[in-house]
Amino acid sequence: MKTDLSPTIKTALYGLMCVLLIPFVFPTWWMITSSVKPISDIFAFPPDLWPRRFDFTTYGKVFELQPFAQQYWNSAYIAAIVTVGTMAFSSMAGYAFARIKFPGADFLFTIVLLGLLIPSEVTIVPLFQIFLKWGMINTHWPLILVPIFGAPSVFATFVMRQFFIALPGELEEAARVDGLGRFKIFWIIALPLAKPALGAVAIFTFLHSWNLYLEPIVFISSKNMFTLPQALTQFTDAYGGAMWNIQMAAATMTALPVLLVFIVAQKQFVEGLAHTGLKG
Amino acid sequence: MAPVTLRHVKKSYGDAAVIHGVDIDIADGEFVVLVGPSGCGKSTLLRMVAGLETITDGEISIGPRVVNELDPKDRDIAMVFQNYALYPHMTVETNMGFSLEHRGASKAEITERVNWAADILGLVPLLKRYPRQLSGGQRQRVAMGRAIVRNPQVFLFDEPLSNLDAKLRVVMRGEIKSLHQRLGVTTIYVTHDQVEAMTMADKIVVLNAGKVEQIGAPLDLYDRPINQFVAGFIGSPSMNFIGGQITPDGFAAAGITLPLPPGLAPGNAVYGIRPEHFELSPAGVAATVLLVEPMGSETQVTMTLGEHQAIGVFRERVKASPGETIIVRPDPANVHLFDTTTGARIN
Amino acid sequence: MGVLLPKLGSQTPTQPPPRRGGAVRCLGWTPCHNLAVVSLPLWGGIKGGGIFAYTARVTPTPALPTRGREKEEAMTIPPRTRPFWTIERRDAVAGYAFIAPQLIGTIVFVLIPLALVFWYSLHEWNVLANTFTFKGAANYQHLLNDPALPQVLIASAIFSACLVVLNMTLAILLAVLLDQKLRGIVVFRTLFFSPVVVSLVAWTIVWGFLLQNNGGINGFLQMFGITGPNWLRNSTTAMISVVVVQVFKNVGLNMILFLAALQGVPKELYEAARVDGAPPFKQFRRITLPMISPTILLTSIITIVGSLQVFAQIAVLTQGGPGFSTTVLVYYLYQQAFQFHFFGYGSTLSILLFVIVAILTFAQWQLRKRIVFYEN
Repeated sequence: MKTDLSPTIKTALYGLMCVLLIPFVFPTWWMITSSVKPISDIFAFPPDLWPRRFDFTTYGKVFELQPFAQQYWNSAYIAAIVTVGTMAFSSMAGYAFARIKFPGADFLFTIVLLGLLIPSEVTIVPLFQIFLKWGMINTHWPLILVPIFGAPSVFATFVMRQFFIALPGELEEAARVDGLGRFKIFWIIALPLAKPALGAVAIFTFLHSWNLYLEPIVFISSKNMFTLPQALTQFTDAYGGAMWNIQMAAATMTALPVLLVFIVAQKQFVEGLAHTGLKG
Repeated sequence: MAPVTLRHVKKSYGDAAVIHGVDIDIADGEFVVLVGPSGCGKSTLLRMVAGLETITDGEISIGPRVVNELDPKDRDIAMVFQNYALYPHMTVETNMGFSLEHRGASKAEITERVNWAADILGLVPLLKRYPRQLSGGQRQRVAMGRAIVRNPQVFLFDEPLSNLDAKLRVVMRGEIKSLHQRLGVTTIYVTHDQVEAMTMADKIVVLNAGKVEQIGAPLDLYDRPINQFVAGFIGSPSMNFIGGQITPDGFAAAGITLPLPPGLAPGNAVYGIRPEHFELSPAGVAATVLLVEPMGSETQVTMTLGEHQAIGVFRERVKASPGETIIVRPDPANVHLFDTTTGARIN
Repeated sequence: MGVLLPKLGSQTPTQPPPRRGGAVRCLGWTPCHNLAVVSLPLWGGIKGGGIFAYTARVTPTPALPTRGREKEEAMTIPPRTRPFWTIERRDAVAGYAFIAPQLIGTIVFVLIPLALVFWYSLHEWNVLANTFTFKGAANYQHLLNDPALPQVLIASAIFSACLVVLNMTLAILLAVLLDQKLRGIVVFRTLFFSPVVVSLVAWTIVWGFLLQNNGGINGFLQMFGITGPNWLRNSTTAMISVVVVQVFKNVGLNMILFLAALQGVPKELYEAARVDGAPPFKQFRRITLPMISPTILLTSIITIVGSLQVFAQIAVLTQGGPGFSTTVLVYYLYQQAFQFHFFGYGSTLSILLFVIVAILTFAQWQLRKRIVFYEN
């Protein structure tokens, strides 16, 4: 519907979008500015859009109150492992389901798809028991194994399969005639061409792992092992009241890296998403 | 180079049989074209020779070896695909050298062969480019380059010219043919375009619904088609068919009598005459002109003979308008007669 | 002219012997019997002459041309048994190897737990007393009689319904706005999408702060002399707040998907409509919506199933309160299983959640046939 618009309509559209933007942008802005306000200023009335005074000690206090650096590292390395693992396994499975003929392929694909239907909340109780039996409670294993093999990676497999189905089959036939075995065809021909889909998978998986909240709460009890989402809720003072500005500092540190990466690479983010084949 | 033999080759997908027993002998160095309408199984056959489809029954041999269970890479063949199948993320040079790389050839050898092939096909200035930067014809040549670098025993072409525009097709036809003359490698070429078949082949195999209709040299098929299908498929515009009876006075069809060669038994038959075998002669039959299409070098006239519609092609300029009458005579020496039920040739 | 041949077994030994022994494979891994052959190889004439001699030959006759083959070779070729490792079998092994990690993982971490959940739901499980007694359908009875459950289900229904409606409408609206050729539109797109990548808990905490009785939002309203409600402590507004927080977090995702879908609609359709004289809104209704209907369906499935999984926001903002007004099913499950340690009953609730998700997904999939207009 891209028609050439009159200047009045254009201005109106800009205005509308700016208004709509407020609830999207304001919380992030508030988070960043509050993280450097002294705590009393946060509740100042009228509310300040820009800090009146600055208190940069909040960031230091974040690390004093919690093993924040350790928690940051926990979230980061778990998310990294899960992303790489999911990309590997889901691309292999998606490729096989899309391109390789083997008996029972449809049936097995339906079984894998069942994973999409079952939210992780449904299985959290038995998973807890299973990991308890394996002695993995309060370790990071549940946070690594379940995402790589469970529901989130099933979505990734689905996306990769959609993508590989759309790849022209002649490329692989040419590769077979040229002498490549199945794995090499996957590794040298199919996978390099799957970068957009892999990008989308990487984004989804990383964000999902970075944001996990229920699973860490259930599986992890000691502060050293916390992930960031858990840690963020722990910034309370002696009376149980939230220490808002410190909490905002922690939240900013949690949100900012991903946000910055996004701003720099937003084109790839968005294109990767558009390529998930969810268009139908 | 090697001869290729297909013996009783059959192919089914589940219960559906698509190739019903095909026997073809291809001599060493021959350029054989598999031609037929869409769905006749020619691409399937080619892919079975390549190893991209399994063989349900029968044997395919390349040289002395039966290759049924061999991987494509072990059959010593090279294939040019309809959509070129160039690896988009590799340069022309890498594309062409790709298979050699994977056979462990030395860098020197790869460079030498790639340059040799690029030289033959005029690709040397394009070696560092990517497929997306090339035109259709250039991509086609890279696909061929990729094939000849392998120096295989057999070349397989799967409708390589279908995606090119008409003028380019004519040019590429000549290039493929001269490449074959130069390299002398056994070639199997699949197309639905009978003009390509006629101009390029040493031998044509006409396929229909999974069966071989006729095998022979192009002009053999043109002059002596063995049944009505081949007669109607080869030649453009296609042969005219008129149903009727063979009588002692000629061929009787509704409303007209057409000349016949001597010595034929009476009975029902289908009369076949190619458009170019009509001549404008007073000793002929009256025809009403429907459409006159002057092509420059010849004139194509759509006309009715009695109740039958036919197309004639004349060297002379035909000055008639739709609705007028001309007198045309089919040349009895070039009449083909076919059995009404089986379609097989009678004379 | 073909002749239907009898089974090749009756031929002389110079024929390539028929396939016997090792199963002759037709597709489907079952042996199939030798089939009679009808084939018509026809030889063309002698080249280059005016006279053509050709015969229609019926094969096989004893003297098959042995071009390129030794006669002895033809006699000593063993019956054609297919080797075990056919091309297809080798490929199939590769196929299984490729899917093994994902498949095994799904079975171990998804399907087996699902079975276990069902098993647990049939037991009363007292962790402290370490008893695990089979109770049959007792938990399900309890489910039906649980006074809290209707409220939980209502809260879940309201939450999901509001969320899906608000999310989808806003997503389409934003996508349409962003589809215009305006300068700097990419900046707007980035900004609308940014909440998606902000950490979930961080986002929720900030909103939690803003929604406090003396927080930013009420402070802002105060500037206009409006006294805002205690957003998170009032049953109605608590639900609204939670919905709004979730919508603004994730609508960017759907917006991008719809944007991609909108850009996939062929321009010629709109041009044809303009020539026909259709006004923009009609174009939207008659062209745009049907063309993006697959996307609408898929995103709504994902959004609804996703809405049933919302946990963090509730845990952080309202802890299910006030009362049960924001206790959605997932949160109730968590409370029962991990706060009160009723693992048996918690499992029963898990099964309920699963059934609801399954029904919703299935229902929407069926709707696909009626509503989705254009399928790839």
